[in-house]
Amino acid sequence: MTSLMRFRRGFEAVLAAFCVLLMVSLFVLVIVAVAYRQAGASLTWYDEVATVILAWLTYYGSALAALKRGHLGSPEVIRRIPASLRLPLFIVGEALVIVFFIVLAWAGLEVVILLEGDRLISLTWVPVQLTQSVIPIGALLFIVAQLMSIPDEWRRLGGEAGLPTEQI
Amino acid sequence: MDALAMLLGMVALVLINVPIAASIGLVALVAMIALKGGGDLLNLAITMYEGARSFPLLAIPLFILAGSIMNAGGISRRLIEFCSALLGAIRGGLAMVDIGTSIFFAEISGSAVADVAAMGSILIPAMKKKGYPAEFAAATTSASGSLAIIIPPSIPMILYGTIAGASIVQLFVSGIVPGLLGGFGLMGVAYWYARRYNFPVEQVFNLCRLWVAFKGAAWAFLLPVIILGGIFGGVVTATEGAALAVLAALFVSGVIYRDIDLRFLYRTTVDGVIQTAVVMLLIATSALLGAYLTETRVPQAAAQWLTDLTNDRYVVLGLLNVLFFVLGFFLHSAAAIILVVPIVMPLVNLIGIDPVHFGIIVTLNLAIGQQTPPVASVLITACSIAKTDIWATSRWNVPYIGVLIAVLLLVTYVPAVPLFLVEYFYR
Repeated sequence: MTSLMRFRRGFEAVLAAFCVLLMVSLFVLVIVAVAYRQAGASLTWYDEVATVILAWLTYYGSALAALKRGHLGSPEVIRRIPASLRLPLFIVGEALVIVFFIVLAWAGLEVVILLEGDRLISLTWVPVQLTQSVIPIGALLFIVAQLMSIPDEWRRLGGEAGLPTEQI
Repeated sequence: MDALAMLLGMVALVLINVPIAASIGLVALVAMIALKGGGDLLNLAITMYEGARSFPLLAIPLFILAGSIMNAGGISRRLIEFCSALLGAIRGGLAMVDIGTSIFFAEISGSAVADVAAMGSILIPAMKKKGYPAEFAAATTSASGSLAIIIPPSIPMILYGTIAGASIVQLFVSGIVPGLLGGFGLMGVAYWYARRYNFPVEQVFNLCRLWVAFKGAAWAFLLPVIILGGIFGGVVTATEGAALAVLAALFVSGVIYRDIDLRFLYRTTVDGVIQTAVVMLLIATSALLGAYLTETRVPQAAAQWLTDLTNDRYVVLGLLNVLFFVLGFFLHSAAAIILVVPIVMPLVNLIGIDPVHFGIIVTLNLAIGQQTPPVASVLITACSIAKTDIWATSRWNVPYIGVLIAVLLLVTYVPAVPLFLVEYFYR
């Protein structure tokens, strides 16, 4: 196994474990909040924290989905076009995705810097910098995942040969 | 940037295999720069963060997780055993079992793909073994899988309700009658196929066997009572109902049935995370697009243009049905809701169409779109399990799609069909 494959496997395992932890946390939080509400003592911080976990699940989960190339798309057209065009278009497509997430990471980092000193409304000891950090970190993880999965995606699209129609 | 140029740009990006979420984000980013210059780029990060923080959307990952646990814990297997005892004596019994179990499973799962994965992995191989054509098995599983988004709970309805500002509970209730009509219609088509091709009868009806199967599945039947009863009764919100679904599924699978496999559960939870993230990233990037549309008032202009042509709500609904039907060939259901609903809602409100009525119309259109290739997530999942060609399977699927279209037309032009329960209980 090459060191790149080992890194990819470790990256995927850590990211997946963290996402499962977020999912379980979200479930436990909602159940606890229901129990408190039924007992007549609603948790004031429930809505804010639950939606922060959802945002984290969105971006860390998106990086995991990018690694597995799970995001919704339409590979059918690029699979069918002549081989001479497929590679340049594939590269352009991959580059555009990466450019978008570079811009998002940069903007996210700028926002995090601007938010220094801000705290969550309901949990005043939690810095907003921490909750908002998911945008730059998530965007960077997405880029890493996208880059690592390029060879697999190229093979899935048929590589140099393309795919016969009946396989599509 | 011109709206048409944005649309064309988005299509071009999708065609070169850029994920739909990134395509929406890229086009919105360019539009944002064109409209306000590069100085406004920080809003990109803020809008995309806030776009993923909508409270009603919390129900989506939880319903997905509940579906994963139900698959891992053998609940779907017990539902199939019960339906087999109930419907197996009818000609083409396994197809009936497939559709009947999908109706039950739809009441505890909000995702059509989850339904097809649960039913298809057991019933498609069984049908093939009994001599049913593989394409028929795939088509039946695919069409019945779409009932999962019509019968509550329903992830597309949660999405629609969040975007359109409609009551998610009322949307859920509006799906009950059309979902059951669709289910019985699909059974009628399966029976017609069974008579025509002389498909086998599974077993003689036996009341004792039915009772044993019912006792085995009794806890599974309690799940929809707990989940939907809690939501419809106003005891819990849709989000809390989704968490309750996870808790109930864990209890039934882990404590009652004792057949939960933690390793499989972990894997399916990871799959659930990915499904959630795929939908949520679409929502987050569409928030960018929404910000641009709000700024430029494109939806309002489109609504005004159409109302200048006609004010007849049934003509407008017909046109919207045609729009969604055509888009269903090319767009995934989540993408169709996210892209189209914000644009057409001003028109829907202007004409005076009930947003709950329009919500069930949209959902039925999406159910049909899941069956029409080339972009047909549910059909493709069924075909990959059955190892069949999607176009050959589609030929068998045409009568099933016809049933869904008939239900759509009934729901569109007889609003009482989806709305009488809503009117009776909530208005």
